[in-house]
Amino acid sequence: MTTSVTNNRLRGLLSFWPIVTLLALVCSVFLLLVPVWNIVSLSFAGKEGGAGVFENYVMFFSEPYYYRSLINSFIVSISATVLALVIGIPAAYIVSRYNIWARSLIKTAVVLTFVSPPFIGSYSWVILLGRKGVLTQFFAEWGISLPSIYGAPGIIFVFTLQYFPFVFLLVSSGLKSIDQSVEDAARNLGSGEARTFFTVIAPLLLPSITTGALLVFIAAFTDLGTPIILGEKFRVLPVLIYGEFVNDFGGAPVLASTLAVLLLIVTTGALLLQRWLARRYAYATAAIRPLVMQSPRPVKRIAASLFIYGLILLALLPMVNIIISAFLKSNGPVLVAEFTFDNFDKVWRLAGGPLKNTLVFTTIATLMCAVMGTMIAYIIARRPGKISALLDTAVMFSYAVPGIVLGVGLVVTYHNPPLALTGTPLILILAYFIRRLPFSVRSSVSALQQLSKDTEEASINLGAGPGMTFLKITVPLLSMAILSGALLTWSNTIRELSATLVLQSGRTTTMSVEIFNEVANGNFGTASALGMTLIVLTFLPLVLLFTFMGKSEEALV
Amino acid sequence: MTKSVSIEQITKKFDSSVAVNNVSIEIGQGEFFTLLGSSGCGKTTLLRMVAGFLQQSSGHIRFDRKIIDTVPAHERNTGMVFQNYAIFPHLTVAENVAYGLKVRKQAKGDIDREVRKMLELVRLDHLAHRLPRELSGGQQQRVVLARALAIRPDVLLMDEPLSNLDTEMRLHLRSEIRAIQQQFGVTTIYVTHDQEEALLISDRVAVMSMGNVEQIARPGDIYLNPQTLFVASFIGDNNLIPVEIEALAADGTASARLPSGERTEARAATGQQLTQGTKATLSLRPQDIDLAPAGTGGLQGKLTELQFLGGTIKAFFDLGTGKPVTVSLQGRHGTQIPVIGETRSLIPLPGATTLYAGEVKA
Ligand SMILES: Nc1ncnc2c1ncn2[C@@H]1O[C@H](COP(=O)(O)OP(=O)(O)OP(=O)(O)O)[C@@H](O)[C@H]1O
Ligand SMILES: [Mg+2]
Repeated sequence: MTTSVTNNRLRGLLSFWPIVTLLALVCSVFLLLVPVWNIVSLSFAGKEGGAGVFENYVMFFSEPYYYRSLINSFIVSISATVLALVIGIPAAYIVSRYNIWARSLIKTAVVLTFVSPPFIGSYSWVILLGRKGVLTQFFAEWGISLPSIYGAPGIIFVFTLQYFPFVFLLVSSGLKSIDQSVEDAARNLGSGEARTFFTVIAPLLLPSITTGALLVFIAAFTDLGTPIILGEKFRVLPVLIYGEFVNDFGGAPVLASTLAVLLLIVTTGALLLQRWLARRYAYATAAIRPLVMQSPRPVKRIAASLFIYGLILLALLPMVNIIISAFLKSNGPVLVAEFTFDNFDKVWRLAGGPLKNTLVFTTIATLMCAVMGTMIAYIIARRPGKISALLDTAVMFSYAVPGIVLGVGLVVTYHNPPLALTGTPLILILAYFIRRLPFSVRSSVSALQQLSKDTEEASINLGAGPGMTFLKITVPLLSMAILSGALLTWSNTIRELSATLVLQSGRTTTMSVEIFNEVANGNFGTASALGMTLIVLTFLPLVLLFTFMGKSEEALV
Repeated sequence: MTKSVSIEQITKKFDSSVAVNNVSIEIGQGEFFTLLGSSGCGKTTLLRMVAGFLQQSSGHIRFDRKIIDTVPAHERNTGMVFQNYAIFPHLTVAENVAYGLKVRKQAKGDIDREVRKMLELVRLDHLAHRLPRELSGGQQQRVVLARALAIRPDVLLMDEPLSNLDTEMRLHLRSEIRAIQQQFGVTTIYVTHDQEEALLISDRVAVMSMGNVEQIARPGDIYLNPQTLFVASFIGDNNLIPVEIEALAADGTASARLPSGERTEARAATGQQLTQGTKATLSLRPQDIDLAPAGTGGLQGKLTELQFLGGTIKAFFDLGTGKPVTVSLQGRHGTQIPVIGETRSLIPLPGATTLYAGEVKA
């Protein structure tokens, strides 16, 4: 009797889900927790600053060169967040509420700016507004000197345009869940449109607004490419980490680790704040009758249209510029108004190397995310308990770890034998995998919550074990969610720069790094041709997602 | 081969609340056994423990005397029919039915033959290649029944399989389920909150209330000889009159005093222990009462309301007991229908009044 119970226990532990759970835990421990742990302990134990435990931190907060970067990071991120709200909320309101022309085209344009790699946008602005920039010179001939794109204002400007879509998309979907009766009631009580918005609509949008704001903040705070390209003497924290990491290469990146820990503290704090706010302000509302479209007075309508079209034009300008300059002859950083295909020569030359790497790494990482992410989602949604909650937290945490921090952590952890993985394709694939895992997990978790458990239990009841039930019932029923999660993963992985910069070796370099190098070397024409290729590769799966799978733009955030 | 099921002192606790409380049931081979009770009484919880989806907090479950407590759900060989169908939406009707057979790695030819047979049985052979979304609710539920029977289950489990269907479909499928169950001779545990369904379809019924089994008996016995006050009030129309036990005779008959002061003789229901001088409840079904002219014995009541329901007529009499007492008269030609305001004698059929210890909850 007792032995049969023990046998059954043992068999229970060796069955499908416990093994998968163990695998998932191993993944998050070795790819996330150990690397983070290592940089944390390096930051305390390293000898660079001196002997004391907090020596590195003491140095950070006493040397202006270092602590300025933290202040700078906060300045640009907070400014960009505020501006993104100021632009994003009215834009979402107008596009959702007013019957202005080409609304769906506007949404597509917002998505396009959203998914385009940030650093491409930055150098595109350099082409336009840099010292020898096209627009700078054009306006100079008229005696107008445009503000510089370099330094803090330029970074804030680019971040705002790059990240306002977070706010736009979240607020748009928030507006969808507000019932028309709410507005009617307010109007009926005599409040005007503006007053109704601020007293009734905005409070209901608070969850979307706070989430949007924190996502902008985190994205701006951890971006590496843009401040490298535009920052010059204005250094932010991620740039400093990268610089220290490159300097330290070969030795233990003690200082880079210390800075990385500070970065991680800020992003984790922001994410916890976001979760807390989301829970606090979650009014579970489902609109029975969504807000109706309005036809405002002509003056208002023209003003609203001008604002939207102006914004979209500004946001798309860098991309249009990339496409044009991809076909222009260049003389170093100066583009000449002469048509050519020469810039694409480089694309062909990279086809066997970085382009292939990008496609192969992205594809493998996406597949891994889809497989592992779906299984983790199943554990989170269907097998609640302590371990499942732990896994949920680990996945959330991987969202909080910035690319550059993960990169440094992985290098510190896997630089030496027996697990000397740095410089191999594997380390890049694993980095992409762990960073983008949340996309697949979230997509499948929400689909699983819609799906009744009975169907799976029916399969178990008919004799299919847990593994077979998952394969034959759950996976087919989740296929749309898995596919859309995978497409999002693909789009977000293919443009990855910050972890890649730290983890790549010459052999494993990718398109994003190549573009970055071309920009650094001032070969704008080639950079544009490569950039255009990358944008097309990023956008393709999203076209599939929206046109064939009926997903709305809001699925992106 | 179908198996007997023993549920032995099963208790299931969720955190601190008890969903199933020390339940013991013996179900014979081939028996159609029904768990009947109102919402939240623990029927589903008990059924899911038999299926292996829930682990009991204590007690044992046996199939054919063999303890199966630690056998995982997919190895128990029970066929389950769910309230909301749980049909596999991505598989055709035939593939749904074949699923359990494929899992058992049967030969393709055998599977095809078996699937065809099952679909003929539930009269869906013409829809074999449809997808579930192209079927009506009743058709979907028949697919699920065929799917559950195809694996030749040791025990068939059904959790309110008819409750999502409209009335006509429900009545139709009800008799179909019973016929198929008899044809297969498969041991069946059926869950419902519909007492008419339970009484009609089952060999035996367990009436449950708040996690406890109140009575296990054949449908006729449940109705005619309820053993607890709960069953007496839950099953069928009944008059439950608060009384006080004045005297207890050696042969088990008691003299009960009504609130009006009238007295009546009655026996305690099977298993009920009465005590002299305590409050009790008198149970008397509406159809077990005859009417006679006032003052000719029995209990005196004043007619307050009449409801004509065609075949039966319900007459409500005020006996000074708080709630009016219902008498059901046959709507036969020539029936003497009393007039409202009239006083009549209500004369119970001999042996029809029974007593239960305790009071009915308001
Ligand atoms: N997973 C669970 N966790 C906590 N309590 C539960 C759980 N499942 C059931 N219960 C509780 O156990 C009790 C019995 O539930 P059960 O589902 O068995 O009732 P039921 O008789 O099937 O009712 P219904 O007719 O509504 O289906 C209920 O009070 C319910 O709230
Ligand atoms: Mg139930």
